[in-house]
Amino acid sequence: MRNGCDAMTRHLRDLRVLLPFAVLIAIWWGLKDGFGISDKLLVAPPLVWSAFGTLITRGILAEYASTSLSMIGIATLISFVVGVPLGFAVGTNRYAARALEGFLRYLQGISGIAWLPLAILWFGFTHTTTLAIVIYTLIVPIIFNTMTGVRAIPENYVLALRSLGASRLRIVTDVYFPGALPSIVVGTRLGMGYGWRALIASEMLVRQGGLGDLIFGARTFSQIDRIMVGMIAIGTLYIVVDRLLVQPVESMTLARWGVLRK
Amino acid sequence: MSADKIVVSGFRHFFQSDSGRVQATGEIDVTIREGEVVTLVGPSGCGKTTLLKAIAGFITPSEGQILCDGKPVRGPGRERGVVFQELAILPWRTVRKNIAHGLEIARVPKAERDRTVERLIGLMSLNGFEDRYPHELSGGMRQRVAVARTWAADPDVILMDEPFAAVDAMTRLTLQEELGRLCATTHKTVFFITHSVEEAVFLGDRVLVMTKRPGTIKATLDVPRHGKGGRDWDSFTGDPEMRAISEQVMHLVHAERV
Amino acid sequence: MMGRIAWKLLPAAPALAILFAWWVYWTIVQPPPSVIPSILDVVRTGAELAFGGRLAGDIVASMGRLLGGVAFGMVTGMIAGFIAGLWRPVADFFNPLVVFFNAISGIVWLPLVIGWLGVGNALATFLIWNTVFFIVFQNTVLGIQLVPEVLEQGVRSLGGGRWETIRSVTLPGALPYILSGVRSGLGFGWRALIAAELVGATTGLGQLIFSGSEYHRADIIIFGALLIGAIAMLMDRWLLAPIERRTVVRWGLVAASRGR
Repeated sequence: MRNGCDAMTRHLRDLRVLLPFAVLIAIWWGLKDGFGISDKLLVAPPLVWSAFGTLITRGILAEYASTSLSMIGIATLISFVVGVPLGFAVGTNRYAARALEGFLRYLQGISGIAWLPLAILWFGFTHTTTLAIVIYTLIVPIIFNTMTGVRAIPENYVLALRSLGASRLRIVTDVYFPGALPSIVVGTRLGMGYGWRALIASEMLVRQGGLGDLIFGARTFSQIDRIMVGMIAIGTLYIVVDRLLVQPVESMTLARWGVLRK
Repeated sequence: MSADKIVVSGFRHFFQSDSGRVQATGEIDVTIREGEVVTLVGPSGCGKTTLLKAIAGFITPSEGQILCDGKPVRGPGRERGVVFQELAILPWRTVRKNIAHGLEIARVPKAERDRTVERLIGLMSLNGFEDRYPHELSGGMRQRVAVARTWAADPDVILMDEPFAAVDAMTRLTLQEELGRLCATTHKTVFFITHSVEEAVFLGDRVLVMTKRPGTIKATLDVPRHGKGGRDWDSFTGDPEMRAISEQVMHLVHAERV
Repeated sequence: MMGRIAWKLLPAAPALAILFAWWVYWTIVQPPPSVIPSILDVVRTGAELAFGGRLAGDIVASMGRLLGGVAFGMVTGMIAGFIAGLWRPVADFFNPLVVFFNAISGIVWLPLVIGWLGVGNALATFLIWNTVFFIVFQNTVLGIQLVPEVLEQGVRSLGGGRWETIRSVTLPGALPYILSGVRSGLGFGWRALIAAELVGATTGLGQLIFSGSEYHRADIIIFGALLIGAIAMLMDRWLLAPIERRTVVRWGLVAASRGR
């Protein structure tokens, strides 16, 4: 009986999440019909739904989405493999840290998109261009957070291990890595957020597939229904990846090793 | 005999937690007379803070009622000032502005406000720190500001929730003496909770002892105050009568170890 | 003494290293200038743009859009954030929408909104507003929820009412979070602006670099990108750092010169 009750409340909670969307869709529909807004500007919800059906059944949405997802996946992997060791190198050496901190901050001010025109000149309208932009966007926060994570580790931890006779490698595996891990995960999550946005923007201009291409291409033919399906897909995929994949890892490391300050 | 200032009758409180209702206190009846300093000592978690917060009006009792000047307490009010254990003065106001805050709220004219603030800065030995921000002060100094802020607002009753618990032992002795002097000169009604037996006997005209959770009042002891104030550590430690009362309270508290 | 000077100059090292590598590469390989220009080309182009008048116009256009969009996003984000922060049910109701629209904030709206607003200032401002709003909103809500309850209780026990509590406790208490929201909002707004200007405007720094790629002028792009970074850095240092120094740093709520 108790279980039944719990399940009921859980379902009610799920519905509460959907309720504001229902309200929003009602307002959207009301505005569309009430003001007689042209289909070239906004389409009614059923049209979006049927466009969604078409894009799914023809496999178009899956194709564009998988391009975007594989791009962000590859970019994250490369950035992580290159960025984390770099961050360690910089974080454990105070000269390197001093030299690079300001430079990395400056780079953060130049968004990946600002390099897009140059990347197009260098690599043409290809996936390489998009990948370069997304890696650039992703890797800076990863290096930066790894560096800050390493530097936030109290020196006493290192000294204590050294006094126990630990080797340098041991100190890295037992102190630096676990100590910096929460910060690395936070940096990766942030980077993926920035990277996803840079990816969409880059796809809009490079036009070689991906969800950005889908919505920007639909613009050319004023296919508002397709644009909206694409936008919903972009938002949903981001939330799914962020909440179901990345956030659990973040909470796990944070809960396990405690929050390194705020 | 002075009038009853605070009357707590049939008070009981429960908290709602994930695992159901938790009883925070047993049934409590307390009367605090005007001008009296009542200290309450009890083991941690016995519900003493709950009682104080209920008198302050931050929580509504699950059972029973609390009267202040014969009127039921409904929410916090400026006639009942509170000094908290944690730092509750505002970090974005200077010492002077913090002390003056209650007077500002009451729309007291600036000239009078300044006079009151000046007097309290003198009483609490805060001279020279008037324009500092709280983060620039030591823990003891901050609590002085908190005490001064409450006194400046001139409430009838002052409720203090272990105000010196987070201060180092040396500073605590000074603060206790200063508070003793303040109580003696201003004749406020004070309700002070603590887990320190010595502090309770040192400051109180009357000491209440609570049982462990769910706490009830286990005993009440009168502390005779000879002469004016009489709250300084030198005479306190040398006074056999005080020592006897302290021992008595200690025995009562000891039995409640958690 | 030597060591101190070297330590001081260290932050310039990466830039110098890159310039050196660039110069070496360029002298040895001699790539076509449309792909990798010489350092001198970039400097010369920068000077031409600066004195030719085009640059000032682009900077003014971009800054105008940025300030408009950020100001609008800040004000609406703070107002909405205060409403949601002070009334829990409102926050709970809107939370799913906030999560979703935050996920598509900014540039994702471009294809749809370009049909509503056309190419130009309104579009760029909308995209910046949309980016800044969610950052400021979420930070404001968080800041309000994290103000210690004991500070509010303290003021209420002094006789302060709801309005007094909001004015003297909630607003300054939430300020560190609001300011850090504004700070990152400005950074994100700047990124969104450059992206928006690539296709959604006819002037501005984003257009400047985009035109560089159309005319195969890598020198223009590199100069433009470096300038974009410099402006972002100066805004952070001159606009926001002083506000923080005068408020939250002075109150001891955050340490000075903290990173993002």
